[in-house]
Amino acid sequence: MSGSAATGTRSVVGADRGDGAFDLGRDEGAQLARAALALARRLAAGASLWCLAPEWPEHGRHLAVEFVHPVVVGKRAFPAISVTGSDAVGELRAAVRPGDALAVIAPAESGIALDAVRRAPAWGVDSWWIGAGVRPPRVAVDHLVWVHRADGTDDDDGGGGAGARHDGSLVLRYHVLWELTHVCCEHPGLLTESASCDDEAGTCITCGDDGHVGEVRAAAVDGLAAVRTARGTETVDTTLVGDVAPGDLVLVHAGTAIERIAASRG
Amino acid sequence: MAERFDRSADSEGTDFLYPFLGEDVEDAGDADALLDDLAASAVSKGAASAELCSRTLTANAAEVRATARAMSDRFGAGGRLLTFGNGGSSTDAAGLAALFRDPPWGQARPARCLAEDQAVLTALGNDIGFDLVFARQIIAHGGPPDIALGTSTSGDSRNLLAAFEAAAARGLLTVGLAGYDGGAMARSPHVEHCLVVAADSIHRIQEVQAALGFALWAAVDDASREVASG
Repeated sequence: MSGSAATGTRSVVGADRGDGAFDLGRDEGAQLARAALALARRLAAGASLWCLAPEWPEHGRHLAVEFVHPVVVGKRAFPAISVTGSDAVGELRAAVRPGDALAVIAPAESGIALDAVRRAPAWGVDSWWIGAGVRPPRVAVDHLVWVHRADGTDDDDGGGGAGARHDGSLVLRYHVLWELTHVCCEHPGLLTESASCDDEAGTCITCGDDGHVGEVRAAAVDGLAAVRTARGTETVDTTLVGDVAPGDLVLVHAGTAIERIAASRG
Repeated sequence: MAERFDRSADSEGTDFLYPFLGEDVEDAGDADALLDDLAASAVSKGAASAELCSRTLTANAAEVRATARAMSDRFGAGGRLLTFGNGGSSTDAAGLAALFRDPPWGQARPARCLAEDQAVLTALGNDIGFDLVFARQIIAHGGPPDIALGTSTSGDSRNLLAAFEAAAARGLLTVGLAGYDGGAMARSPHVEHCLVVAADSIHRIQEVQAALGFALWAAVDDASREVASG
């Protein structure tokens, strides 16, 4: 885009830029509240928080240090790890444990973020996605927090969320998430219920009925493959979906892979 | 890091910002009440951040322009931007370097964060002490056309003050982003331009420092274009 035209719209930032990206509306406040309570429940149950920001690595590190080393004396330190390697999904696959939490800070176009979020259910991991720019397609993310303008539209600045990456509006979201999470931690009586799947998010396109996501561990032998799911490793009949390779995602129902799930695109 | 502890201890305490959340909310049935309170709290935090952002950008408008002109001159002379900070401020410094290096529009400029290489940080921290982890790198990398930009919420971080002193001695342009009352950075003769977010919440300071950094980058872009067309 041309410099002067772009600067005309973006040379003033934050609250002054007039699009309200610093204003958390009522709906977003409610989303952040639910996201914080769900995260507090996971952390209270012993989860590690994996922070993934492939395009914006500084935000992944910032989020992790918030939890590991709280700015407020007396707040509990939680295990949070920023994943920054060139094979972040492989790193997560090897490291995460069922019950862990995955926090993604990324634009919607992030192939790595989409890949990780789609695999998270097979690993038994709940996911949170904080982003800006064009909203991601419907994906099986448990909690979505998106930078928006005052008119309710997404913060599509033509730069894939580049403005929000740098002007503080993204930082505001995860700061507030951290602050609210710690408020929840002061109410231990509220942290024990609903340890299982949080079905309030309503964004899951794949976990209808009792089907669940699985990640193939090894190619099938005689139509049976070892598949990683939230329940552990299951032996799954894959004849319905044809040949499967390690890493493929499938929908598992009653011991049978009934459908393939696209991993990184679509 | 130290600054995060020092300031939070006396300014925020453990009860920050939640006077309306009663301690009686303990029953699992009260989760909805808690969620309502949290949502209202989130909205008020956003409003506080927006108000602080607006106030800070207005108060610093002239200084942002002056700093941007000086930075633009340095870039025009072949200078590079070296950024640094501790903890969350180190990631903000990394983000600012990324903004200049890989901008959403306009010209890419040489910029690097001095907190990103664990070999260098641990070597310096282990061998000569953490107070000098940035100063030593300024001495190794910095020269007269370059810019040293440090970001801190307290304005008191010793390793930033040491880095600014080393930078000033070597002829770098020195720029500081600070919070609270600016701390020692605002009073240091080695910090030529100090932009202060006058607040006492570390989080709100960092959010608005990011906005200030973005405004600074945009102003550098404007200043460089004026030079090119003039």
